[in-house]
Amino acid sequence: MGRVLLIFRLVLADVRRHPTQAVILLISITAATAMLGLGGSLHGATQALYQKTRAATAGPDVVAFAPGTGRTAIKTLTSLEHVPGVLTHSGPYREYYTKLTAHGSTGAAVAQVADMTPGPVDRPLVTSGHWIRPGGVVVERGFATALGVHVGDHVTVAGRSLPVVGIAVTAAHAVYPWAPGIGPGGGPSDGGGLIWLNERDTRALESAADTSVTSFIDLKLRDPGTALAWHRNPAVTSAIGDRWVNVRAWQLIAEQDSLMLKGSQPILVIGSWLLAFLAIAGVATLAAGRAARQTRRVGLLKAVGATPGLIAAVLLTEYLTLALLADALGLITARLIQPAIINPSAGLITTATGPTGTTIAVTTVVALGVAALTSLGPVVRALRTETVAALADTAHRPQHRAHLTRLSALLPTPLLLGLRLIARRPGRAVLHACDTAATLTTITGLLMIYAQPAKGYPGSSMANHLRDAQEHHVILAVTAALVALAAINTVTITWTTAQDARPTMAIARTLGATPGQITAGLSAAQLLPTLPGALAGIPLGIILCLPFSTANTTWPPAWSLLGAALAALPATAALTAVPARVAAHRSVAHTLSAEAT
Amino acid sequence: MQDALLAMLAKEPSYGYHLRTRLRRALGPLGESMNAGQVYVALTRLEKAGLIVSERADGLPERPDRKMYALTPAGQQRVAAWLAEVSWPKPDLADFHLKLTTAAAARLADPVELVAAQRRELMRRLRDAQHAALAEPDDSTAGLLLEGVVLRLQADLRWLAACERAWSGDENRI
Amino acid sequence: MDESGDVLRVRDLYKEHGHHESLVRAVDGIDLDVPTGQMLAVMGPSGCGKSTLLHLLGGLERPTDGEVWLAGRRIDTISERGLARLRRRAVGFVFQAFHLVEELSAAENVELPVLLAGGSPRAARRRAALLLERFGLADRARHLPWQLSGGQRQRVAIARAVANRPHVLLADEPTGNLDTTATLDVLRVFEDLRAAGQTLVIVTHDERVAATADRLISMRDGMFVDDTRLAGSTTGRLDGLIRLED
Ligand SMILES: Nc1ncnc2c1ncn2[C@@H]1O[C@H](COP(=O)(O)OP(=O)(O)O)[C@@H](O)[C@H]1O
Ligand SMILES: [Mg+2]
Repeated sequence: MGRVLLIFRLVLADVRRHPTQAVILLISITAATAMLGLGGSLHGATQALYQKTRAATAGPDVVAFAPGTGRTAIKTLTSLEHVPGVLTHSGPYREYYTKLTAHGSTGAAVAQVADMTPGPVDRPLVTSGHWIRPGGVVVERGFATALGVHVGDHVTVAGRSLPVVGIAVTAAHAVYPWAPGIGPGGGPSDGGGLIWLNERDTRALESAADTSVTSFIDLKLRDPGTALAWHRNPAVTSAIGDRWVNVRAWQLIAEQDSLMLKGSQPILVIGSWLLAFLAIAGVATLAAGRAARQTRRVGLLKAVGATPGLIAAVLLTEYLTLALLADALGLITARLIQPAIINPSAGLITTATGPTGTTIAVTTVVALGVAALTSLGPVVRALRTETVAALADTAHRPQHRAHLTRLSALLPTPLLLGLRLIARRPGRAVLHACDTAATLTTITGLLMIYAQPAKGYPGSSMANHLRDAQEHHVILAVTAALVALAAINTVTITWTTAQDARPTMAIARTLGATPGQITAGLSAAQLLPTLPGALAGIPLGIILCLPFSTANTTWPPAWSLLGAALAALPATAALTAVPARVAAHRSVAHTLSAEAT
Repeated sequence: MQDALLAMLAKEPSYGYHLRTRLRRALGPLGESMNAGQVYVALTRLEKAGLIVSERADGLPERPDRKMYALTPAGQQRVAAWLAEVSWPKPDLADFHLKLTTAAAARLADPVELVAAQRRELMRRLRDAQHAALAEPDDSTAGLLLEGVVLRLQADLRWLAACERAWSGDENRI
Repeated sequence: MDESGDVLRVRDLYKEHGHHESLVRAVDGIDLDVPTGQMLAVMGPSGCGKSTLLHLLGGLERPTDGEVWLAGRRIDTISERGLARLRRRAVGFVFQAFHLVEELSAAENVELPVLLAGGSPRAARRRAALLLERFGLADRARHLPWQLSGGQRQRVAIARAVANRPHVLLADEPTGNLDTTATLDVLRVFEDLRAAGQTLVIVTHDERVAATADRLISMRDGMFVDDTRLAGSTTGRLDGLIRLED
C-alpha cells in the first residue's frame, strides 16, 4: 500500500512540476485516439443509426414498388399482403418523382402521399412541427437541412406553393440524397429528397408533364432477417407473376445510407495513422527531452535505495496513466464529433452510438503503445545507467560531431548555432522532418481532393454538392488536426531544444552572441530539417492517393504542391519564433549559476 | 640545520662546500639567502661536540681551505635519534590573540583594524611565497617546502578571517 | 581606454535582486577603477555580491543604479545587442564550473568566440592552436571536455575567454573546483597573461589565488571594506618566510 502511495506521490509531483509537458502529451495522444476512434466507428456506425431510426419509426422490412397507379399495379401490391410470413402492412401509397423549389433552388424530390394518421408500418418520426395536413407538407429532415427549410417556410411543388408544417425522419427511404431509390423506371436515378403530402395536394402533380408516379406498399415480416431473399420466396414470385415489381429490403436501404461515408473513411483512417505518427513523434520528443532529467531523478531514487522495479513503475505509471486518460478523452471526442460525420444529411435519428468494443481496444492499444514506445527506451536506459553516472548524467552527453562542427564554422552565426544544435541532437531534427513530411502528406491529399471536379450522378447538383462537401469537410478537419498537432510538435521540439541547449546558449551569450542570433539559431535548427521533410511529404501524399485514383483523376498543379512545401518554411519560422525568443532572452547569469549547482 | 648536516654525512664523508650546495638545493629559493658562514659555524660546533671529525684534503691548490667531514659513532647515534623524533613546531597564535583581546579591553585599538593590518602583511608574504612557488618546476622538492609555507600562511589567513568575523560583531566590541 | 588609462571604471554602483521583503542589495554602492594591465583580486564571504559585481562589470546583468565604463565606453545603458557585441571583443569570462560546450572539443571551444566575432575558420583554428600550446594543452586540443581534468578544462576555458584578446578577463572563482596542483596550473596561466599585459579581475575565496594579484579588494555585504596594493609593497625576499635554526 505504501509503495503504491509512493508511486502515485512521485508521479503526481512530476506532473505538477511539468504541467505543460503533461498537457502536450495528453493532447497528442487524444488527437490520435479521437481520429482513430472516428475512423474505427465509421464502419457500421450509420447502420446502427439506421437500426435506431428503423425501430423508432416502425420501419418496413421490405418495400415493394410497382410503376404507375393502375389497377394491376395496386392488385399485385395488395396480393403481397397475404404472402405467408408477412405480419402487417401499410399502403399501398403513391409517390411522385418531381421537382421541388425552396428558397430559390430547385432539386429532384419524391413526393409521397401519406395518410393523416400513418399506418402500422413506416410511421415517420416528426422531429419538429406536426404531421401533414391538407395544404401542408412535411419535409424529410436531411432534405430540409440541405435546403435550409424550416417549419413555416414554403416550398413549391408542381407550381403550387405549400407551407411546411413539419420535419420528420423515416427508415422507409434511404437518406437524402438517395430518397428516389432506384426510381420509377428501375434504373439509376438522380439524387433527391423526400416530402410527404396529403392526397388532396397531389392534383397538380397528376397533371404535371415531367412527373412520373409509382405505387408501393410497406410490409413487416415475421423474420426481418430474411428480407434480402424475400423476393425469391416462391409465394412472392407467384404473387408477382410476370408483372413489374421492385422489392427493396431494409438492408439495402441501410447500405445506401452508409454510402455517403465511403469517400470519407479512407481519409479518416489514413489521417488517423498520420496523426498517430505525429503523436508518437511529439511524445517521443517530450520523452527524450525529459530523459536527461529523468535519468538524474532515477539516479537520486536509486541512491536512496529504490529498487529498479519501483523506479520502472514510477516512470511507466506516469506515461501509461496519461495515455489512458488521453485514450478516454479521445474516445469521448470521437463520440461527440461522430454524429456530424456519420449522419451527414441528418436523415437519421442522431442519438450517436458509442464506440464498439473493438474500437476501444484498438485506440487503447495505440495509446498505450505510443506511451510505452516512447517511454520504455528512456526508462530502460535510466535503469541500466549506474547510479553515479546517472547522478552525473553522463549518459546523455551529446556526441561530438567533428564534421558538422567544422562545416558550421564556415556559416554565419545563426546558421552556425543552428547546425550545432542539430549536431547535438540529430534525432530531433529527423523527427521534425518526419512531422513536416506527415503534415505535407495530408496537405497533398487535401489539394488532391479539392482538385477533383464535382463528380457523381448527373442531374441533381445538390446531391453532388452534399457528398463533395462531406469529403471536403472531413479532409479539412483531418488536415486541421494534423496541422495543429504538427504545430504543437514544432513548438515542443523548439522548446525542448532550447531547454536542452540552455547552458550552451548561455555560454554563447557570454562569448558575445546576441539574443537575436540565439533566436535565429534555434529557429534555424528547426528550419533546416523542415525543407527536406516538406519536399518528401508531397510524393508520400501522392503515393497515398494513388490507390484511390482513376484514369480521369485530376492532379493538382505542381506549383500548388511546391507552394505548400515552401509555405512550411515561414510557418515553421513563425512557430519557432516565440519559444526561441523566450529562451534567448533568459538571464545568462541566472542560467549559468543554476547550471553550476 | 645541524641535524640535517649530520644526516647528510651518514652515507659517506663529504666536503663542507658540498654540504652547503646540497642544503641550498633542498631548500630551493628559500635557501638562497643562507650565507656560507652559517654552514661552517654549524660544522665547527658539531666537531667540537665530537659528532663529526674533519681531515684537510691535499693536492687541491685552488681550494686551500677544503676539509673532508665524517661522522663519529656519537654522530651516527644522533642521526638515528633525530629521525625517530616526532617533535613539531608549535603554532604561535596566542600572542596575536592576546594582542586583540587586550587592545579591545583597554580600547587601545580596534581589533578589526589590527586584524586587517595583519592580514595585509600575511597576504604580502603569501604573495612572495606564491610567486616563488609558481616559478618552481612541478617536480622540484624545494617546491614542496614552499607549498608548506603557502599552506601555513593560508591557514593563518583563514584564522584571521575567523577573528575578523568574531570581532566585527558588535557584542564583541567591549 | 579613457585618458586616465583605466580599463574599468565604476561609479556608485547598485544592484538589487527581488522585491519588498525579499529584496537583496547584492551590490551596494561601489566605486572602482582598474588600470590597464592590473591583476585585481576580489575576496569576500559567500553571498557578499562578488559574482553579481563581476556580471555587472561584464554586462551580463544591468545595474539598478550607477555607471559602468569599460574601455572608455559606458556600458550600463547600451542595448542587449550592443552588450553582446561588447562581450565578443572586450570581455572574457571564466567561471568556477568551467562552462565549456560539452559536445565541442577543446580546440573547438576556443575557436567559438573567434567565429562568433566573425573571424574566419582558419584564423580561429590558428588562434586556438596558439593559445592551447601556450597554456600547455597542445596535446589535448582534440579532447572533449569530459576527457579533460578540471585544471585542463579551466585552462581551456581561459584560452576561450582570451581568444579575442579582450580588454579585461573576468574570472569568477576560477579555482573553486580545483585541487592544489590544478590551481597552480591555472595560476601560472594567469601569471603568463598578466606578464603579457592582460587586465584581470578575479573573484575568489582562495587566499593563494588572491595573493598572486597586484591588488586585493575585500568585499562584505555588497560593499568594499578594504583595498590593498600587494604589488610593489612586498620585499620580494623569502628569507623571512622560514626560520632555520643554527
Ligand atoms: N538572481 C537573483 N535573485 C535573487 N537574489 C540573488 C540573485 N542573484 C544573487 N542573489 C543574491 O545576491 C547576493 C549576492 O550574490 P552573489 O553575487 O552570487 O554572491 P557571491 O558570488 O559573493 O557568493 C546573495 O545574497 C544572493 O542570494
Ligand atoms: Mg559567486
